[in-house]
Amino acid sequence: MTFRTKVFLIFLITVLASVSLVVYGVTFYTQRAFEQMDAGRTHALEVQFGKEFAQRGETIVQQVENITNADVTVRMVLDLARPNADASLYLHDANGAAQSHGLDFVEFVNSDGTLVSSAQYPARVGYKNDWVTSSKNWDATGAFLKREELPDAAALSLTAVRTQTVGNKTIYIIGGRRLDQNFLASLELPEGMRALLYKNLEPTFVASALTDANGGVPQAETFQSLIEQIQKQPQDLTKTISWNHDPASAETFHAMPLKGRNGELLGVLLLGSSAKELVLLKREILKIAAVVSLAALVIGLLLSWWVSRRITRPVEELANGARDVASGRWDTKIDVRGSDEIGELAVAFNEMTGTLAAQKEKLVQTERVAAWRELARRLAHELRNPLFPLQITVENLQRARQLGPQQFQEVFTEATATLKAEFANLNSIVTRFSDFSKMPAPEFSKVNVNEALRDAIRLFEPQFTALGKPHIGTEYFLSDSLPEIDADSELLHKAFQNLVLNAMDAMPAGGTLSLRSSDGGDTVRIEISDTGKGLTTEECSRLFTPYYTTKQLGTGLGLAIVQSVVSDHHGTISVSSEEGHGTTFRIELPKRQGGTVIKPKAEATPPEKESERAATATD
Amino acid sequence: MKFTRLSWLAATNAAIVALACLGAQAAPPRYGGTLHIKLRASSFSLDPREWAPGSLSSAASEKLASLVYDRLVTLDDYARFQPALATEWTHDATSRNWQFKLRSAVRFSDGSMLTPADAVAALQSTLGKGFEVTAAENGIAIRAAHSTPDLLEQLASGRNFIFRRLLAGTLLGTGPFFVTESVAAAPSEANPSAIKPARIKFQANEGAWSGRPFVDFVEVILGEPPLRQLLDLQVGKADIAEIAPDLVRKGRQEGLRIWNSAPQTLVALRFDDTLAAPASDQIREALWLALDRDTMANVLLQREAQPADSLLPQWLSGYAFLFESPMNLQRARELRAAFPAGVPGATQPLRLRVDAPGDLFKLMGERVAVNARQANLLVQVALPVSGNNSAASAGGLHLFAWHYDSLSPHSELEDFVKQLLDARDLPGNATDPEQLFAQERRLLEERRILPLVLLPEYAGIRANVHNWNASPWGDWRLADVWLDSEDPMTSKAPTSPPKNNPTARNPGARP
Repeated sequence: MTFRTKVFLIFLITVLASVSLVVYGVTFYTQRAFEQMDAGRTHALEVQFGKEFAQRGETIVQQVENITNADVTVRMVLDLARPNADASLYLHDANGAAQSHGLDFVEFVNSDGTLVSSAQYPARVGYKNDWVTSSKNWDATGAFLKREELPDAAALSLTAVRTQTVGNKTIYIIGGRRLDQNFLASLELPEGMRALLYKNLEPTFVASALTDANGGVPQAETFQSLIEQIQKQPQDLTKTISWNHDPASAETFHAMPLKGRNGELLGVLLLGSSAKELVLLKREILKIAAVVSLAALVIGLLLSWWVSRRITRPVEELANGARDVASGRWDTKIDVRGSDEIGELAVAFNEMTGTLAAQKEKLVQTERVAAWRELARRLAHELRNPLFPLQITVENLQRARQLGPQQFQEVFTEATATLKAEFANLNSIVTRFSDFSKMPAPEFSKVNVNEALRDAIRLFEPQFTALGKPHIGTEYFLSDSLPEIDADSELLHKAFQNLVLNAMDAMPAGGTLSLRSSDGGDTVRIEISDTGKGLTTEECSRLFTPYYTTKQLGTGLGLAIVQSVVSDHHGTISVSSEEGHGTTFRIELPKRQGGTVIKPKAEATPPEKESERAATATD
Repeated sequence: MKFTRLSWLAATNAAIVALACLGAQAAPPRYGGTLHIKLRASSFSLDPREWAPGSLSSAASEKLASLVYDRLVTLDDYARFQPALATEWTHDATSRNWQFKLRSAVRFSDGSMLTPADAVAALQSTLGKGFEVTAAENGIAIRAAHSTPDLLEQLASGRNFIFRRLLAGTLLGTGPFFVTESVAAAPSEANPSAIKPARIKFQANEGAWSGRPFVDFVEVILGEPPLRQLLDLQVGKADIAEIAPDLVRKGRQEGLRIWNSAPQTLVALRFDDTLAAPASDQIREALWLALDRDTMANVLLQREAQPADSLLPQWLSGYAFLFESPMNLQRARELRAAFPAGVPGATQPLRLRVDAPGDLFKLMGERVAVNARQANLLVQVALPVSGNNSAASAGGLHLFAWHYDSLSPHSELEDFVKQLLDARDLPGNATDPEQLFAQERRLLEERRILPLVLLPEYAGIRANVHNWNASPWGDWRLADVWLDSEDPMTSKAPTSPPKNNPTARNPGARP
């Protein structure tokens, strides 16, 4: 991963983390605010329920007192006080009183507890209501919750009891109103809240006993565990119920037990608060957060890209500069931006490359002088060799003028032959130097390296086995699966030829020449080894310097040509040698030459005749 | 025996007739006017063959049919059989073969003559399989499969009217009125959820053999709620209206003239055969002992009903006083405690279906449930599915109302058994009171039928209605009734008999 990518990712993560943190914070505090608001609303509703309960109780007490003080009730008491009074006369009075006073339940109970009249359950007339006579202070008692027995089922009522006494006769007037959906409908509920009433009139949970302001509650059985919990231990409880997979459907219910006069659990009021608003707000926040995050992501991307680019560009320039220096361009300069640490680094780099360039220039000058000296020495040496015979021959001719014509003729003939030979020698020397200076650019085509190696050996095989010459054996370690590579077959042949010739020179007493080829992935590896006397370390280091030679008659151009060919093929050449054990040249050539036109094999330049090739080999 | 049974009725009616005569002397009879009547039954049929024995709707239908049709004989206020369409009758010693001589010159409301064939056709369809009715010279002959000494009681009551069935299905009668308009109950146009009650209008039959009735028209509206009927009576929208027993006291307190018949309706419980023996015997016995009939009659029905210990009322059977149904809660609880597990009424409630319509019967059903609870029996009241009291309806326990249609105790008991107890035949001599008593006692001891209360029929009568002379068994005799001219909108007829009326009515001419 590049430095720029790292910087980019760090910036990006920082931006996203910041946005996420803000979103989480907003959501968290919104939820807390909603919960507090919800708790406040629930409490307000509890208070409202309490007030409504109390107000309705007062109303019922007032209505029951109105019935108690009505003339018909007083007359009833007077009538029932008579011996053998006919209580059946008042069978329907409770019903009439209930209708005229707007009560659901009205009962008249005789002083002994016998039910005289009942609006809600007239069939019970004549039976005892002992719970009424057990209390003596009904007139000071307010309304209370009561389980009301009805013919078909029990009901929950808010009931008040009053007494009417005339003389010694007292009757009890019980009046109440049903606590049901109508009561719930009278509660003013805030948006998103609802009130449910569970009438706890059966020993076990009954789904139909749960009602809301509209009647039955769908999926009432969902409340079973909550109700049963309160039935076991009557206390306030809160529970959140999810109606389906959508979190917006969830409702939080605050359950309050409703107890009767003797503390018995008669009902449970459930105040439900919908989570819809909160969930919708959360979703809205998340939606906004997503948009903000997206925008932040884009901005972060751009910003990160810009910042990372700004930070890494000088570094990259430094790296490129260093790379250029490494590739030989020692005079590389980079732009200096700013005066910060990176800027100082750029200045230092430029100073370093300046110094290096100056050193290199000096070195080149020195090497150039050395090369010229070496060239002069070689030229002097090469030219001196034919010049000396020429000088001798000319002097012989001068001395031969004093001989007889026949003798002169013999000398002259011999002298001209020598002169020709030496001039040819001079011409050859000049040609070799000329050839080296005119090394052509390679023309690439598909070349089988193994074939090229074998061709090079085949040229010299007669000399390896010639009589009177030391025997040189050859060994092949060529990889059969080696692919054809992009190369100039002629130049490659010339390079191999020079290396073979070099090896032959290194083995004057004979030896073994080994050739290896192997697949190096993107490259092909070639090794040419001899078993000659080997080279010193210094010789190895100067081996590819032009005009450097360790041989008596060498021009010092052979290996320079080899290196030039390998370099033109974008390959590398190295030498390893152990004195007394031989030398190995290792060439690594790329299989493909990128960006170069590759001629088909047929169009490739045909190899020169073997004799011509041999003539071009230079020691 | 029959005179013994009906003697108290005779005495009662003598007093009523005397009072009526006094009333008649105080104001001369007057022809004309429309008599407005309200009945509780929501439906009716004037075809006697369609009536279900014992049903409350059939009782209302019989009341309406008596305006249109006549019988062969009738029973007068002194419990004597009087000629009606039959002027003479004889029977052989076995009381199987009866001869009836038909009244001559009797015409149907369309003017056609009554023939023996008409009487034969009508009675053959109403008397049933045990009788063969044939035409005879100037009359008809009835041959019974068994000795039928109570044939006259049967012919004087129930559905044994004489009528003619026309090809179009219309029934003609020789009675004092004929039908001019009949509208069935239908949803109200103004409010489709409300039912507009059925209405039937009768017109005086000028050519009635018994004389023209005093009123020109009788308009009957059926199916009105009991309280509405009472209010209509009070505000003058009705001249005669049935009063529910639980509203009788209210009516009296408000000064209404209330007439009541002898007990006409039995309210009782019936067990299905769905309960397996022997548990069913214990349940029946326990419930029978837990029932508080006195409170039902005296408190819930405010003394306007009688506790019932028998299937037939005292006035009909003469031996009903011999039965008793003592309440014994302690014994009932003991029986309940011995119930095997899983018996209905113990852990699972015994469903009590109220088969009779109206809040009164529902209230009684609830009282039965309360009584049962005192004996630790669980009884749950279910509302009626329809207004019928068919024995075929299932439910474990039923509360039903049975209206006594016949003046023959044997016939009534036979109908009762056929309708309510698996259509079994009543064995033994039909008219022997001792055997009838034994049969009824056996039925009661089975405890499949538990009598609760006997309800008389109550009617409120406005002060403008004169010569109200209803029989104790519920025959209203509306042909004898005449109206005051206090309401000019409803009465335009002259006080004297119509000149074109060949048979001016003589009050009391009909027995």
